[in-house]
Amino acid sequence: MKVLITGAAGGLGRTYINECIKRSYEVCATDINNNGLITMKEGIYNRYRKNILTYPCDLTNDNSVNKLMDYLKEQQFEVDMLLNVAGIDFEGGFLDRSFSEIQNVINLNILGTLRVTHKILSSKEFSKRFYIINISSLAAEQPIPLKATYAASKRFLLDFSRAIGEELKSKHVNVLAVCPGGLATTCEVMHAINGQGFFGAITTCNMERVVTHSIDYVLKGKTKYIPGIFNKLASSLNYLLPISFTTKYLYKRWAKAQSTWLTGLVEEIKV
Amino acid sequence: MKTIVITGATSGIGLSVLKQSLKKGFKVIGIGRDQNKIDIVTNELSEYVSKEYLIFLKADLMELTEVKRVGLEIKKYLQEINSGLLDALINNAGCVRNWYSTNSQGYEQQFALNHLAGFYLTHFLLDCIIKAKGKILITSSKSHMNTKIRWNDIMFEKHYHPLLVYKQSKLANMLFSYELNNRYKALGIKAYGIDPGLVNTNIGLKNTGGLVKFVWNIRKRFGLSPEVPAKTYLYLLEEMPSPIDLYYHNSKPAYYSSEVNFKNSFRFFVLSEQLCNIKFGDFS
Repeated sequence: MKVLITGAAGGLGRTYINECIKRSYEVCATDINNNGLITMKEGIYNRYRKNILTYPCDLTNDNSVNKLMDYLKEQQFEVDMLLNVAGIDFEGGFLDRSFSEIQNVINLNILGTLRVTHKILSSKEFSKRFYIINISSLAAEQPIPLKATYAASKRFLLDFSRAIGEELKSKHVNVLAVCPGGLATTCEVMHAINGQGFFGAITTCNMERVVTHSIDYVLKGKTKYIPGIFNKLASSLNYLLPISFTTKYLYKRWAKAQSTWLTGLVEEIKV
Repeated sequence: MKTIVITGATSGIGLSVLKQSLKKGFKVIGIGRDQNKIDIVTNELSEYVSKEYLIFLKADLMELTEVKRVGLEIKKYLQEINSGLLDALINNAGCVRNWYSTNSQGYEQQFALNHLAGFYLTHFLLDCIIKAKGKILITSSKSHMNTKIRWNDIMFEKHYHPLLVYKQSKLANMLFSYELNNRYKALGIKAYGIDPGLVNTNIGLKNTGGLVKFVWNIRKRFGLSPEVPAKTYLYLLEEMPSPIDLYYHNSKPAYYSSEVNFKNSFRFFVLSEQLCNIKFGDFS
């Protein structure tokens, strides 16, 4: 199995590389951060004495993605599984951020993912089964005030993957949308999780299990995966409660979480 | 004047050891992660200590590249100032994580910081320590008891449990000091693992979250002040305790786990060498 991972130098991407190597898949890792790719390559070599392909690529740039495709062709790396991990999180109100930052979220989370997926799929002959994993989020289940752009972009990915999964079923393509809660990928995210207190802790998923299960599920042909029992329950509440109520509740929760998160940061520096 | 290096020197046990060893007239090179905390500590101590006695370097030891950078920097500095002599290295920096998380090489963070960072730093400073017939002190813990190294899942990628990972990393510290003694005792250096006991520090609160944070917030109230375990470090730095004992608690030798034996320590040492991609102590 040959796997292409985008956003591979981030916390989740690194875990995916590890898991793929353990399953003895061949990996091509791409990210905008070339240094991160190189250290990860070293780490994989040290641990498993195995080489992975790396190629730096900016998914928001069409030329850069074309170069990546050329590189794959040159290496005769025919992708069987595409892991769309690349994405950026987004905290703070709509008006607190500049427009270019908001544009960036859409450019990477939506357009970047579509660009890479379309280019890979259009070069395929569909002789073998093909697998796609899109990383959506638990935020995709309902509108989230103060995270509006991010949540909406993840909603796009969720609906898109389920639709395209049905569309390409006859061509033997399995598409899985993963909707994890918090994942402890970076120190900032851990601060944010702490800021949410009890709910932050309970919605946070174990990254190593999300990764293993999501690959298992895409191989089986599932279309949507919400890790964690509490998260499954919470997202099923969306079908029972009116959406105006959940939105109101989430606004209160996020406003509180973000304020404690920010003051928590200041306190930690003082200590 | 004796020179020592302390990692994780801006808070907790590291800070207490730093203060007490400055009082005893050691020259200290401290390593910290956070520039703000470094500034606070240097400002606080600048009244009592002259500049040449205390140097701080900033490095995030979670990343092996940073360990390498700071290791070589210290080595260069020692060669200029102290003709390459280092009397003690105190591998004290450590962390706890509630969830599986990795450093940029894809290594689990508790494993990377609690064990590999110390291992890699010792590799760079080894010949300085050998020249001075120095000591290596490693902050282990009593929690290294009743656990084993999970050889087939060393980074806990199947099922992460914060406490078990912490316990394994502390056992790793013991195995490392045991193997250091095995290999380099004849050259005059000595490694010790230290059990600080339950100490009132913030180790369980930094970037942890979840259950660990909750539990540690309660548990740390029963802990001793970090000045108490710091005495053990000072005892080991100043005295020449019996070379047979490896593991110290309250300035006295203590029993350690039977997992710490030749077979395990050798195997673990080779594994650590592989993960850092080095031949330990070899620069050729």
